[in-house]
Amino acid sequence: MSEDSKQLISLRNISVDFKRDGKDIAAVDDVSLDVNKGDIYGIIGYSGAGKSTLVRVMNLLQRPSKGTVTIDNQELQGLNPQELRNARKSIGMIFQHFNLMKTRTVQGNVEYPLLSQKLSKNEREGKSLELLKLVGLEEYATSYPSQLSGGQKQRVAIARALANNPKVLISDEATSALDPKTTTSILELLKKLNVELGLTIVLITHEMQVIKGICHNVAVMEEGQIIERGKVAEVFTNPQETLTNDFVETSTNVKSAIERITADPSLSTLGDNQRLIYLNFIGNASKEGLISELSQKYQLNVNILFANIDQVDGENVGYTIAIITGEEASIERAISDLQTAGVRTRLLQAKQKGE
Amino acid sequence: MAALIPNVIAMKEQFISAIFETIYMTLFSAVIAGVLGLAVGILLVVTQPGGILEDRVSYSILDKIVNLLRSIPFIILLAVISPLTNFLVGTTVGTTASLVPLIFGIFPFYARQIQNALLDVDRGVVEAAESMGSSPAEIIWRIYLREGLSDIIRVSIVTIISLIGLTTMAGAIGSGGLGDVAISIGYARFENDITITATIVILIMVFIVQTFGDWLARRVERY
Ligand SMILES: Nc1ncnc2c1ncn2[C@@H]1O[C@H](COP(=O)(O)OP(=O)(O)OP(=O)(O)O)[C@@H](O)[C@H]1O
Ligand SMILES: [Mg+2]
Repeated sequence: MSEDSKQLISLRNISVDFKRDGKDIAAVDDVSLDVNKGDIYGIIGYSGAGKSTLVRVMNLLQRPSKGTVTIDNQELQGLNPQELRNARKSIGMIFQHFNLMKTRTVQGNVEYPLLSQKLSKNEREGKSLELLKLVGLEEYATSYPSQLSGGQKQRVAIARALANNPKVLISDEATSALDPKTTTSILELLKKLNVELGLTIVLITHEMQVIKGICHNVAVMEEGQIIERGKVAEVFTNPQETLTNDFVETSTNVKSAIERITADPSLSTLGDNQRLIYLNFIGNASKEGLISELSQKYQLNVNILFANIDQVDGENVGYTIAIITGEEASIERAISDLQTAGVRTRLLQAKQKGE
Repeated sequence: MAALIPNVIAMKEQFISAIFETIYMTLFSAVIAGVLGLAVGILLVVTQPGGILEDRVSYSILDKIVNLLRSIPFIILLAVISPLTNFLVGTTVGTTASLVPLIFGIFPFYARQIQNALLDVDRGVVEAAESMGSSPAEIIWRIYLREGLSDIIRVSIVTIISLIGLTTMAGAIGSGGLGDVAISIGYARFENDITITATIVILIMVFIVQTFGDWLARRVERY
């Protein structure tokens, strides 16, 4: 099938059960997931959602209780131990706590995966130095991990994970122990590897910022299930599930803004000719213009209480809360026109008409 | 000198050969028990629940054997094990015969020490190696034994020092060595200078082992 060759990772009906206090708990509950070649796929969810368990299934570090794992058209569960080890070499993995070997130098760590290949010492050194250059750490080759910062350690871990020339890189909270600036630089590096090497990346996080920064597709996990998935821009501009919405509104400060504004007593006395409205739109400035157009085209007075523009997968997404004042009929018309133009609207006050 | 330790001087040759008997018993049993203990310690770590070669049956059998052997007091082990000693060495008394109980007395202790040292190796690093396609043998050699090396050296030193202690008890089966001399000559004949000199020589041995071990552990810990 031509469909198959596009997919690098294919999980089918994966369940993972753990026994705790004699009871079975489903850490992953009937999850199917496809990741295409060249994609950067994010998996987001709160702690305990089952994200780590799910990605550990991808290289069978965790054997699922049910379901099949196929990587690059090869079903992993059918492999013998030696074949599985070979398959794992094409699946690189990086971790929250870096997991570097403290007794080896930076270069020694990067050389580690090469030790089991038939390479001369010179070839190994050459290749590891090349990888260190790629992550920008060649001058640290002879340092020990204990002498590096967190961001540098993660770069070493990335270089090490790349030594086997993997097809996919799995990142389990790789930036969660890092400060925002270092996080950005690591994400930039991952993006570069994706573009320049065509590396497919699966990335787990509980931070929206990470997903918005580099992912093309996203799956939202809760209680062992994927509750929502799709293109990042679509999922995050039109969230269907409460949890997804929660992630979006928290990360854009919309949530706190709505709470603050709706709690403001001076706004509880809006007249019949006023609406407190929340607007959410994807894309270009022309839609921003669209909002300011309201005042002219429909003779409305728009008083903006909150506005935020966010970048999602390279696209602008706008969030606005405003009070619109004008003739009731004009307001209705304006809102319906906005909706036709693809702006999501939500009335935040009484007399609401829903979406 | 002759005034200070007259009895030691009088039996100079026997005393010196006792020193060599102690060294012989310690080294020989250390090598064999070392290999055995290291193997069992590694097996305990890799077969334990969540280990890289998880195997509940092997783990619980090994664990029970180690516990059992460790709960037999050494002085009783000397007697209990004598049929095995007789089978292996053809006699139950003497320096060479004492090697068998020494080995069985110390290897379970060493196995536990090794197990603890290896458990201190970061589980995350082991997982990273698994994710890179390392085989169990590679993980044992290149991760566990390497990352755990300084701790392994430290517990080996502790074990050798305990072993020196055990060799003195082996005097009870006529093993020879400094313990035997201190008890069956120094103590029995009220020749205190023999007991005291034997003690000092043992302390010097312990001191040398400890100092060398600390130096070695620090030397490999250059990170
Ligand atoms: N080896 C295990 N034995 C028993 N329960 C486990 C095991 N591993 C994970 N769990 C349980 O499975 C559930 C999912 O855990 P998982 O680590 O996959 O969550 P997560 O989404 O990665 O969370 P976090 O963001 O905290 O890393 C949790 O309830 C956890 O307690
Ligand atoms: Mg996790």
